[in-house]
Amino acid sequence: MDQNSTPFQGLASPTGAMTPGMPIFSPMMPYGSGLTPQPVTNTNSLSILEEQQRQQQQQQANAGLPGTSGQTPQLFHSQSVGGTTTTALPGNTPLYTATPLTPMTPITPSTPASESSGIVPQLQNIVSTVNLGCKLDLKTIALRARNAEYNPKRFAAVIMRIREPRTTALIFSSGKMVCTGAKSEEQSRLAARKYARVVQKLGFPAKFLDFKIQNMVGSCDVKFPIRLEGLVLTHQQFSSYEPELFPGLIYRMIKPRIVLLIFVSGKVVLTGAKVRGEIYEAFENIYPILKGFRKTT
Amino acid sequence: MASTSRRDALALPEVQCPNHPDALLVEDHRAGDVICPECGLVVGDRVIDVGAEWRTFTKEIATKDPSRVGDAQNPLLNGGDLTTTISKGTGAASFDEFGTSKYQNRRTMSSSDRAMLNASREITTMADRLNLPGNIIDRTNHLFKHVYEQKRLKGWSNDAIASACLYIACRQEGVPRTFKEICAVSRISKKEIGRCFKLILNALETSVDLITTGDFMSRFCSNLGLPKQVQMAATFIARKAVELDLVSGRSPISVAAAAIYMASQASAEKKTEKEIGDIAGVADVTIRQSYRLIYPRAADLFPPDFRFDTHKLPQM
Repeated sequence: MDQNSTPFQGLASPTGAMTPGMPIFSPMMPYGSGLTPQPVTNTNSLSILEEQQRQQQQQQANAGLPGTSGQTPQLFHSQSVGGTTTTALPGNTPLYTATPLTPMTPITPSTPASESSGIVPQLQNIVSTVNLGCKLDLKTIALRARNAEYNPKRFAAVIMRIREPRTTALIFSSGKMVCTGAKSEEQSRLAARKYARVVQKLGFPAKFLDFKIQNMVGSCDVKFPIRLEGLVLTHQQFSSYEPELFPGLIYRMIKPRIVLLIFVSGKVVLTGAKVRGEIYEAFENIYPILKGFRKTT
Repeated sequence: MASTSRRDALALPEVQCPNHPDALLVEDHRAGDVICPECGLVVGDRVIDVGAEWRTFTKEIATKDPSRVGDAQNPLLNGGDLTTTISKGTGAASFDEFGTSKYQNRRTMSSSDRAMLNASREITTMADRLNLPGNIIDRTNHLFKHVYEQKRLKGWSNDAIASACLYIACRQEGVPRTFKEICAVSRISKKEIGRCFKLILNALETSVDLITTGDFMSRFCSNLGLPKQVQMAATFIARKAVELDLVSGRSPISVAAAAIYMASQASAEKKTEKEIGDIAGVADVTIRQSYRLIYPRAADLFPPDFRFDTHKLPQM
């Protein structure tokens, strides 16, 4: 039973003391990091979170003293979460178990009684790079491969596209490749492997070295209009709102280092993340702020 | 002529009347004396006259300016150097056999000073085209100097930085100019000015107020030749439209242009969308879009004391 509870002790450490809102998605939560081979269907973030919820609630029930353990987590929680510990929303994960052996490490709430938004940002684009490990002859690739375009006067790389997953790759003569357009980490890796196989079949000794996700873009809708003028007044050092230049407010969050484009309609675009958790964390940080600037008419 | 003395080292030596140490001494320029007003004692004499040496009345550029002190110092921009340079020779001996002057050293001016002077000239030219007053020009020069000294925007062309500084200065003085207006007098593109603008705000760690529709009303309306009543009505319409949140997400310039269109169409001085678009720098389709958003509530948007020339507003 102690073995069950130790993973949660690690999660109890609050990571973001400076940001408003709870750092709920710590980097230790294993949802599809893209490096472990998982079936594509399982990378839906929601399903993994629900699985974790069930696991954690089960383990909570198992660990600790019988009978009383079901009650004690709620006592510790009442200051941080608005008493909704029983529902399986993706924000209300109790991050520690209340055994008599574990010290009571409270979650640091930066906004009192902040409930989770219940909205999960959807990933729209993943940009990744990989090194094929050998010099390539772009002309032969462009001539022999299907769906490849190469215009050396305009750009020094072959632009190749595949239909499944729908992605585009820029293949450079040094052997490095950029893969864009995938909607999840696994799809990006799979697409990169497909491109590498195409290059391999054309006769080059392609390897698959240093696959790294460079950027992830997510978007979501908070479902209410936002007063951008108010937001730029209070968060001047992070926001930039110039209606002449761009209709959205550009919010540069420090921790995690994410850029958010916030629009009057309530749509939010988050970009600049290297891992999925940063997008979720950033959205959970900004959601209470946006709620404060909801348009009342 | 006598003048009250100022206690600075330039005008007076540090003297006091021995009988009246607290008395403010009086200068007499004609005699070069410093006199105590209480007892009439001449305290100091042979006072250096700081007035002008020559009084020139002709405006034409004389070949020789007899003044031996030169222009006023510009301490804010040039670093206040007191260096002197050797000027071109005038006599026959200063030219060698081919007609070139023997002493040719004319190029040593520090590069930062040269950049500042060029930028200053550029700023003055741009401000002149926009009819901007001196306080904005001064502020722009200050901003440029700060940005230039910081060296964080070294890669950007000085003209782009100067244009962005001009935009910021106009905003800070409360009379913002649109990016398109600055573009019209500068050779830099709106994109580059916009990028420089954001970088300068970062580098100087300042911020500017958000633009409102009312900031542009007086300029646009007078450029269109609209009377004061129409201008006031347009200001009211634009403000009301933003308050009622009819035009959420639209740029304030477009809302202002649509308000001017509505006000002018309701008055005797009707202006077309194209005319307003030319003045405001907004496309006429944009004015049409914003107008469609405010048209349904037109009755609520007009000020109560407005005299309508026609109640039938164009519908599109």
